[in-house]
Amino acid sequence: MSELGSRGARVRRRVSAREAVSEHLGVRDVVRSIGPGVITGGADNDPSGIASYSIIGATAGFAQNWLLLLATPMLIAVIQMSAKVANVTKSDLATVLRTTFGARIATPAVLLMVIPSVITMGADLLAMAAALQLITGVRYIYWVVPMAAIMAVVTIFLDYRVVSRYMLGLVAFLATYIVAAFLAKPDWLDVVRSTFVPQVSLTPGYMLAAVAMLGTTITPYLFFWQTSGEVEEKRGVQQLTRTNLDITVGIIWSNLTAFFVIVATGAVLFSHQTPIRTAADAARALEPFAGHYAPDIFAVGIIGAGLLAIPVLAASSAFGIAGLAGWRRGLGRNPKNAPQFYIVIGLAFLVAMELAVSSVDPVKALFYSQVLNGLVAPVMIILMLVLTSSRKLMGDFVNGWLTNAIGLAAAVVMVLADIALSYQIAAKGVPS
Amino acid sequence: MRRQERAGPRIDAWWDAVLAGETGEAHPIFGDQVKVHLREGRLTLSGDLDRREDRSALLRQASSRIGRGISHVDASALRVADRHEKAGILEQTLVAAYPDRATAGLARKLVLEHSRVAPKEEGIVDHADARRLRELVPKEFVDDATKRIEHGDALLILRVDETAGFKVRELLEEDTRSTWTIATPPRLSSGNGK
Repeated sequence: MSELGSRGARVRRRVSAREAVSEHLGVRDVVRSIGPGVITGGADNDPSGIASYSIIGATAGFAQNWLLLLATPMLIAVIQMSAKVANVTKSDLATVLRTTFGARIATPAVLLMVIPSVITMGADLLAMAAALQLITGVRYIYWVVPMAAIMAVVTIFLDYRVVSRYMLGLVAFLATYIVAAFLAKPDWLDVVRSTFVPQVSLTPGYMLAAVAMLGTTITPYLFFWQTSGEVEEKRGVQQLTRTNLDITVGIIWSNLTAFFVIVATGAVLFSHQTPIRTAADAARALEPFAGHYAPDIFAVGIIGAGLLAIPVLAASSAFGIAGLAGWRRGLGRNPKNAPQFYIVIGLAFLVAMELAVSSVDPVKALFYSQVLNGLVAPVMIILMLVLTSSRKLMGDFVNGWLTNAIGLAAAVVMVLADIALSYQIAAKGVPS
Repeated sequence: MRRQERAGPRIDAWWDAVLAGETGEAHPIFGDQVKVHLREGRLTLSGDLDRREDRSALLRQASSRIGRGISHVDASALRVADRHEKAGILEQTLVAAYPDRATAGLARKLVLEHSRVAPKEEGIVDHADARRLRELVPKEFVDDATKRIEHGDALLILRVDETAGFKVRELLEEDTRSTWTIATPPRLSSGNGK
């Protein structure tokens, strides 16, 4: 009897913790699973992102569509890793970096996220102000301070997670790019070819656009935001399948919008060799759909994108610094109970406002903030890979080979783009 | 329920503060999960609670104060979070370091009072009984924990259901200000198979 028992035990395969909580989800679960991942996807298409995609479409046409396609599974993999690390360790990214690698690595890593994020906030504020100028005719510079003040108050004193659900509705205006892209009647064969067949041109302009494209898509602050979102939602590893679904839906939607921004601007502006120098130029991509309402629709989309993304950028910076310092943190917390966290948010708004007011060229500021993100992202991806490949840290939830391969590919592609850009700039100078 | 009874005087004090217009303080049990707004006698409760019983308890507390500065209670924005996770499948060990055993003891008291946790195993370990680490901490983390003890810290170790992991870590790290906190990876609960 005992022999039978021991044989039975040998035959029975050990069920891993991961297998024990795996779920098979139906179509209805897609809607029920929507959470921080969709907000992350929405925040990825911030005004800087829309501006960068517009500039890429206007200057390179569809030539970089393949990079967006390539970046999509990479972003999904990296954001899913971020969610997993939070749900396994029950903590946000800055804290995990600090407890795993120590302050010597965690501090520069957090600063590498915070600095480009605050610069991006400044650039996004400028974009929103420029969008308001399109609607009202009042010079953009006068809108920067009121916009920043309103958003700071909303982020600090209201429950941003509730407010963000309404902001997603405003971002839906960006879906007008999908209709505009079809009405612009692009050469679809060229669009499809450019999307599936990589075209590489070793010029400074192309490489700069490539780094901006990757930087605006795979943005480091999103990694911090996703981990903090998971900690606030407290979904845990039992919901990893739902979390991954939420992230996949959010990012595919976000990148699909980005794709149509490029197609619309490529069809309308690149075909006529019209560069983007102002927000009004960028809005022209919507003319096939909206006619003379194009600037209004563009402005509402940009303002909605900014209202969604800027608090995310500020909060990601605050989560990073509070995680490093071990302060109380969370957008669900009352400011009285997490004062340092909210002070960092306030400071991020102040610095971004100062940057926005002192900046001279909104469109360039938007574009170069994304280039900076592109330079920083590979470092963060590599740290994320090290964390999620550690069996000690992740146990049965350690990365599989496919996730590791996609994550590593993301880091390699971004490093190569950064090296090529540096080389081209050293050889031929910064493109105008 | 017992937890709420223990916190009874602090809950009463919190309500007294709310009725006096101090609506920014965290609830003694539900913390920042509950937000309260009082204007012209109308009390609005909002936020996400973990359990239906918690919502009922909070509503009872509010309703019992009608006539004492509250004329109406609006709880339409007070929700019960839509949770899919089940207790009893996975468990996790959390380790937090404190300067001494007494502080670790206070932290333990606070965590147990403010969370819904009945630890499956718990202990406070310092250099006097460092050998217990091997019983309480998964072997991959014994070296890390030993370093903290050699550093002079006392460790509070709690093995809890995975579904309570976020709450316990938050309390250990942010509310009791542990100097070092880790959560070991979730594992199948003892005796659990699927």
